[in-house]
Amino acid sequence: MEKVLITGIAGGQGRLVAKRLIDRYEVCGVDRVDWAGRPEGVKVHVVDLTRKKFEDVIRTELPDHVIHMGFIRHFRSDEQTRYDVNVRGTRKLLDHCVHHGVRSLVVMSSSYVYGAFPENPYYMDEDSPLSASRSYPEIRDLVEVDALATAFLWRYPHIRTTVLRPVNVIGYYVHSMIGQYLRERRVPTVMGFDPMMQFIHEDDCATAIAIAVERQLQGVFNVTGPGEVPLHTAIRESGGIAIPVPEFLLRPALARLFDFGLFPYPPGALDYLKYPITVSGERFMDAANFQPDHSLRETLESVHI
Amino acid sequence: MADEAPGMLDALMDFVVRYLPDDVRDLESELEDRLHKVPNQVNEFGFDPYGLSLEAARRMFLPTALMYRFYFRVEHRDIDRVPEGRVMLIANHAGQLPFDGAMLTMAMLLDADPPRICRSMGEYFLPRLPWLGTAMARGGAMVGTPENCVHMLDNEECVLAFPEGARGMNKPYTERYRLQRMGLGFMRLALETSTPIVPVAIVGSDDQQPGIANFEALGRRLGLPALPITLGFPLLGPLGMLPLPVKYHIYFGEPMVFAGDSADDDVTIQQNVDAVKETIEAMLARGVHERKGIFT
Repeated sequence: MEKVLITGIAGGQGRLVAKRLIDRYEVCGVDRVDWAGRPEGVKVHVVDLTRKKFEDVIRTELPDHVIHMGFIRHFRSDEQTRYDVNVRGTRKLLDHCVHHGVRSLVVMSSSYVYGAFPENPYYMDEDSPLSASRSYPEIRDLVEVDALATAFLWRYPHIRTTVLRPVNVIGYYVHSMIGQYLRERRVPTVMGFDPMMQFIHEDDCATAIAIAVERQLQGVFNVTGPGEVPLHTAIRESGGIAIPVPEFLLRPALARLFDFGLFPYPPGALDYLKYPITVSGERFMDAANFQPDHSLRETLESVHI
Repeated sequence: MADEAPGMLDALMDFVVRYLPDDVRDLESELEDRLHKVPNQVNEFGFDPYGLSLEAARRMFLPTALMYRFYFRVEHRDIDRVPEGRVMLIANHAGQLPFDGAMLTMAMLLDADPPRICRSMGEYFLPRLPWLGTAMARGGAMVGTPENCVHMLDNEECVLAFPEGARGMNKPYTERYRLQRMGLGFMRLALETSTPIVPVAIVGSDDQQPGIANFEALGRRLGLPALPITLGFPLLGPLGMLPLPVKYHIYFGEPMVFAGDSADDDVTIQQNVDAVKETIEAMLARGVHERKGIFT
C-alpha cells in the first residue's frame, strides 16, 4: 500500500482528507497538535514543520505522496511565527520531498491569493496574477507559499506536483475565515457592497484533494464548488443577519479592534467583502473529472450542521 | 430582503409603484415580461454567475424605462439589424452621465425582438463606489476588462461598449456630435471572438447636459475620471445632474464583420476602428440633420 503523509492532519480539512484516503493508502501525518480520536492506523507525529525533527519523520516514514496543508491561516500568532511555519516550513518540506524520494505532492493554496480588487475580471483562470498582498499584506506569506510550490512544480517535473486553489471552503469541521464569519448570528458587511462569492463544501474539497493524489495530477488548479451567490444571500442562506456598516466607520473600528487583539482579522480582509474573487474551475474539472456532490444550498447551510 | 439597505429602497419602490398610474404599472409588467424572455443562467437563488438578478433588474430598470418612454421619448430605427447571438453594440458616448447607455439598454430590452439584456462594459472605478457597483452587477453590467468581454461574447451575449469612454462622455458642448478618439480594445476582442459589430449612433445625448468645462485633474484627485461643469452642475447641486428632456434618436447600422488577427499592430487595427467610427459619424450627421430641434 502506498503511503500518504499529510501536514496539518489534525485540522478540520486534514482529518476529512485522511478519512477519505484511509481505505486505499497508508496514512500518516504531522501537526503541531495531536489528533485525539483519530481512526485506527493513522499515525500522527506532533512536530513543527520548521524543526529538524520533521525531516526525521519524512526520513523514517518515506511517504510516496505528500499533501501539504499545514499552514497558519489565523492571525493570533505573531507575524514571525506565521512566516516561519508557512514559508520556511514549505521551503523545507519541498527540499525533503526532493531528498527522500517523494513521488507526488499536493499543496493547498487558496483562491484568496488572487486578491480582491474592483477591477478583477469574473472567473479568473490559473494564470491570473497573484495580487493578494497588494491590499492584504498580512497574507503575503500564503502568496509566497503558492509561488514556491508553483516554481517547484516546474523545477522538479519528476515529482508530480499539484497546487490547488479552492474557493471559499465551508462546512462543519473546517475553521476557515469565511466559515467563522458566516457562522455568526449578526454579520457585519460593508454598506453598499455585495460581491459574488463562490463556495465549496469541505467534503467536496476533500474529494478534490483525494482525486489530485489518486490521479497524480500535475499543475496549478482552481477548485470550484456548486456555484456562487452575492455575499448577502450567502449570509441569509447560512442563517445570519447582515448588518451593513458604512466603510468609513467599519474600517477604522476593525483596525483598532485588531490591534488590541479583539478582532481576528486585519482590516485588509474587508476588501474580500467588497470586491469579488471569482475563479474558473474548468481546468480542474476537465483534468480530474471532478464534480461537487453538495448543492449550493447544502453547502451554505453546512456551516451550522 | 429587509436585511440589507438596498432592500429598503426596493420596498420604497414597491410602495411608490403601487400608487402610480396604470401606465407605470403596465410598463413594469412589460419589463418583467421582457426580462423573463431573455435566455439567462440565473440559479436557484435568483442570480446569474455575473451577479445579474432579474428581480433587481426589474426594479432598477423601471425609472430607466419611464425615462425611455416619457422623458427622452426615445425613437429608434433599424433595431432589427442587431443579429442573434454574440454581438457588440458600439456607440457614441456623450452627455456627462451615461443616460445614452441606459437608453440603448432599454431599447434592446423593450423594443428588440427577441429582447436582449445589454452587457455594458463599465469603467474600472465604478465598483469602488458603494451601491453603484452592486447596481451595475444586478443590471447585467461589469467592469470592462478584456476577460469579461470575452466571457460575455462566448456566452453569446449582447455587449455594449463606448470605446470613446470618458473622453466622449465628458467632452464640452463645443465638441458635440464630434466623435473622440476610440480605444482599439473592442476591435481586437471582436476579431478574437469573431463577433459582428453593430455601429450605433445616438442623437440626443450630446444636448442633454451641455458641458462648459471639465476639471479633469481635480476629478482625478477625487477618484473620478472627469469633473464636468455644466449649465446646472455644480450650481444647482444634485438637481443640476438632471438632464434636459431632449428627444433621443437611436440609429442601428448594418452589422460589420471584420476578419484578421487580433494581435495585429495598432495601425491595422486602427483601420478597422476607423471604419466603425466613420459609419457612426455618418449616421450621427444624418440624424442631427434630419431632426427639427433638440426637443423633437
